[in-house]
Formats: sequence, structure tokens, C-alpha cells
Amino acid sequence: MEGLRILCRAENVFDRTGKTGSVFVKPDDIIASARRLYELEYFLEDISAIDTKEGLVAVYHFDHFINPGRVALHVIVSHESPVIPSISDVFSGAQWHERECHDFFGIRFAGHPDLKPLLVPDDLDYYPLIKEADATCSLDDLLDPGEIVDKDPAFNLFSDGPPGEQAREQSNPVKADSTHSGFGVES
Amino acid sequence: MKEPLKTWRVSSGSDTGENGTTGGSETLTLNMGPQHPSTHGVLRIVLKLDGEYILSAEPVIGYIHRMHEKMAETRTWVQFMSNMGRVDYLNAMAWNWAYAGALERLGQIDVPMRAEYIRVIAAELNRISSHLVWWGAYLLDLGAFTPIMYAFEDRERILDLLQILTGSRLTYSFFRPGGVAADVTEDFLSGVTAFVKDMKNRLDMYKDLVETNIIFRGRSEGVGILPLEMCRRYGATGPVVRGSNQAYDVRRAEPYSVYDRFQYNIPVDPDRDAMGRYRVRMAEILESLNIVEQAVEQLPEGDRIAKGAPKPRWKPPKGEAYFAVEGARGKIGIYVISDGNRNPYRVKLRSPSFSNLSLFSELAKGTLFSDAVSILGSLDLVIPEIDR
Repeated sequence: MEGLRILCRAENVFDRTGKTGSVFVKPDDIIASARRLYELEYFLEDISAIDTKEGLVAVYHFDHFINPGRVALHVIVSHESPVIPSISDVFSGAQWHERECHDFFGIRFAGHPDLKPLLVPDDLDYYPLIKEADATCSLDDLLDPGEIVDKDPAFNLFSDGPPGEQAREQSNPVKADSTHSGFGVES
Repeated sequence: MKEPLKTWRVSSGSDTGENGTTGGSETLTLNMGPQHPSTHGVLRIVLKLDGEYILSAEPVIGYIHRMHEKMAETRTWVQFMSNMGRVDYLNAMAWNWAYAGALERLGQIDVPMRAEYIRVIAAELNRISSHLVWWGAYLLDLGAFTPIMYAFEDRERILDLLQILTGSRLTYSFFRPGGVAADVTEDFLSGVTAFVKDMKNRLDMYKDLVETNIIFRGRSEGVGILPLEMCRRYGATGPVVRGSNQAYDVRRAEPYSVYDRFQYNIPVDPDRDAMGRYRVRMAEILESLNIVEQAVEQLPEGDRIAKGAPKPRWKPPKGEAYFAVEGARGKIGIYVISDGNRNPYRVKLRSPSFSNLSLFSELAKGTLFSDAVSILGSLDLVIPEIDR
């Protein structure tokens, strides 16, 4: 992933999380990241999203036919303006996955050729997988960052050091301040 | 090797990579489905036709969308297992496995060896029964009525066996995080051994019955040529990508359970067409039979479920886990996220048919209408799995 502006890159233990790498990028860098993975002959596994306290996290899973190892790309956008550039020009299969994410979470994929409902009825006026605000959890609790190998100083979602309850507790005050602090969310 | 049939076949656009057209100016919009025998369920395809050539084919899905992912969030972790049998009604065992595996990875639960072997036997039998339904239904699409009768006769034997094991015939909820719901019986094991022996002979008969048929060859050879690059762009997996000459199988790529203890091949086909995908699935039936045979032979003694396996009100640790298995249609992936509570925070179901169907629009463009039916059948779709 050289030449890309990465917010956070972590190596995961496959037997724990089912993936080997995890990367956070800014929304504007998602197309370039996808193109890089395409050039490295990765294939698109799926695109999903998670509703967290810090915003909506789009998760792109890629895998490789010849050198298997799942890579997860993450993009965080705010609840107020969930817009991510569409990668459907690079991975055509993303069209349906992005429509599904729009159905369930209301994430708008800029540049998508036809972002109409895929699975839900045309007149559905809510997003089924959006949680009540008090039911959302912090990203640090939900995702297993693994071993962080590269991090942008502005990126403060995950506490430093090995994951564990103690580290999480220590990071709590920092985390409360960091909500919507501008990482990943284009202002 | 047989002579190619292209000399007499009407050449469609897919042979040259260009759209076939009649040169006329009128187009026809045609609805294929949602109630159409060759869409195998409630799938609708909006076709724009120029004569018999397809200008565009747009699948419309969601008719039987049930929002399994939301249902997961309203149930406890273990309760949601029963939904897994309803996602893909032909290959419920693989979905059971993917979900059980995801919970085991999340909670770092060890599975007893005997349970792993029982899982392999059940899942491979289910794969064979799924492929048999595909075989019969695909040939039915192409105008051959007899094969589905043979296929259902043999599938019936598998269903009877799995009924002994699981108590159900189609929508199994047989797996538990940490093991399986019931141990095998002597009846079941002797039945499986007899079935494997008979099925190998039947498989030869199946091939003799249809594979040299001139109509079948004409409608599948050179039809729906799928380049590997396109598989990557759409995330096609399973027999579809193996039919495009890429030996990608989750059982080898992301080894799980005890699959590394068996001798089996990953069938691939260099032709990349509908016939290639057909041959891959037929070869896979034989490979699955071999795996079942070895698993029954090697079945160790022990427990069927881990001690301290999750109870219905189990709370997993916080965190995430992705677990993938090789289903009959490709890579089934389940991504679970836990906030440490009794209910899942998020469950994402990655269904292979969803990705495999999404490439249909591009693949069918420029082909003959009758070829589109053949292409659709060669993708082996299960609609509830696409709609989830």
C-alpha cells in the first residue's frame, strides 16, 4: 500500500479475527486504495458497514486467489453526511454491495451509476441497521486493531499498546474527546 | 477430446467479445421472472432485446429479502443459528458451519475432533445433494427432463441420511458453536458407506446420459465465457471461478477444520464457459464422495461438542471475527462484531450467489437470449441466499 495516505495500518492474527491486515483510509483515498488492490490482483469479497459512536464505518473486505489473506479497508464517515466515493469503477461488483450498504445504512456512494434500492422496498423511509444513538458502541470496543504498524498522528481511534481491558480503560478519557474530531471525516 | 461444435453453432457476440446485433432499429423490453422456471426462484431480469440478442440484462432482486442481518441483532448469538438453515435451502450445512465457525473464532472455542469429522461428513453430503439439484435443474433449463428424476432419486438418499443425523431434511440447524447437535449412529454411518459406493457408479451413468448429448454441448460449450479478471472484479468464487481455471477453494486457501487430513483435488476447467462450470461441479461431486469416504474411515472417538460450549445466553468477548467456508456455490463468509452483550452487535452475511449473479449483467450482454438461460443456470443460483 505504498504511496497512499494511510490513517492506520494494523497486522492481524488470522486465527483470531479471520484477516491478516486492516487499514483505515480517508474517504477520498478509497478509490486509489481499491485501485492498488486491484493492481495487486485482489478480488472484492464484500462491502458492509458498522454503526458506531464515532460514525458509520464502511468495511471493504478483499482477498487474493493465489496468496490468500483477507485485507480489510475501513472508511469512517459521520452520521450527518455519510458520503464515500464509489469504487464501482474499479471493482464492478461493488455496485451491488454499495447499493446494499445504502439500503441498510444510508451511506451515499458518490459516483455510483445507479444508487437505487437493491434489497429493500423502493418506498422504505428508514435505514434498518442504523442503531439508536444510545445503543451504539465505540469503535475501539468493537474492532480488534491487532498490532498497529503505521499510524497517522491525527488518528486517535485506537488506544496505543496491546489490546486489552486495561489499555481500553486508560484510553477512555482520550476517546471521549476524540469523537468526530475530524479523522476520516472530510470537513 | 471431442471436436468443438462452433462450426455449426449460431455465433453470438460472446465469441468475439462484441455485442451481437441484428442491425435493426427496434428493441424489445422483456421481463424474465419474477415467476420464471429458469430463474430458479423469485428473481426478475429485465432484458432489452434486439431480435434475439441481449442489449442489456439487469437482475432485479430483493423479492424475498428477510433482513437476516437485522434479525441477528434481535436474537442471542446462539439463537441466530436457526436462521442459517434458511439462508440457502440447498446448502444449509455450509451456512451452519460459517456461523458456528465465526462464533468459535470470536470466542476462541476449541471443537472436539469427532465433531469436526461429523461436520465434514454432513457438509460434504449436503454439497453433493446441492450439486445434484443443480445438475437436474440446469439440464431441465436446457430442455432435458430425465436428469432431474435421477438426481432427485439420489438426493433423496442423502436427505434420508441427513434426517437420521439431524432430524430435518432441508433447513438444518445441526451445528452448535463448539460442536454439533447430535452424534452419528451406526445406521447413519453404514448408510453413508453404502451411498458413497453406489453414487460413484451413478455418477458415471450421469455422465454417459448427458455429456455427449449434442444439444447440451451446443448450448453450453463456448457459452458465457468468463475471464478470470471479471471474477476478480465481481468477487466470483466457488465452481464459477474454478470453471475459469483458477484453483481457488476456501478449504485450501483458508484451511479450517480437518480438511488438511484428506486427499482430494480441486477441480478446475480451462474452457471458462458454461460447460467448464458444469464439469467442475460434476468432478466436485466425486471429490466430495472421496472426502466423505475418508472421513467415515478416520472418524475418531470422542465428544460431539466441547465442554463449556456456548449456551443460549452466552456472552462472547468484545471484538470481531470473520469466518469463511467453501459452500456449494462458493465462498460463504460471516463477519460478526460483538460488544460483549448477549445479542450480536452486527452480523454480515457474505453470500456467494450474490457476487456470482452480479456479474450476469456483463456476461450476458451481447449473447443470444437462449444462451442467457444457459449462463444463468451455469451460475447455480439460490435466490434466498442472494436476497438474505
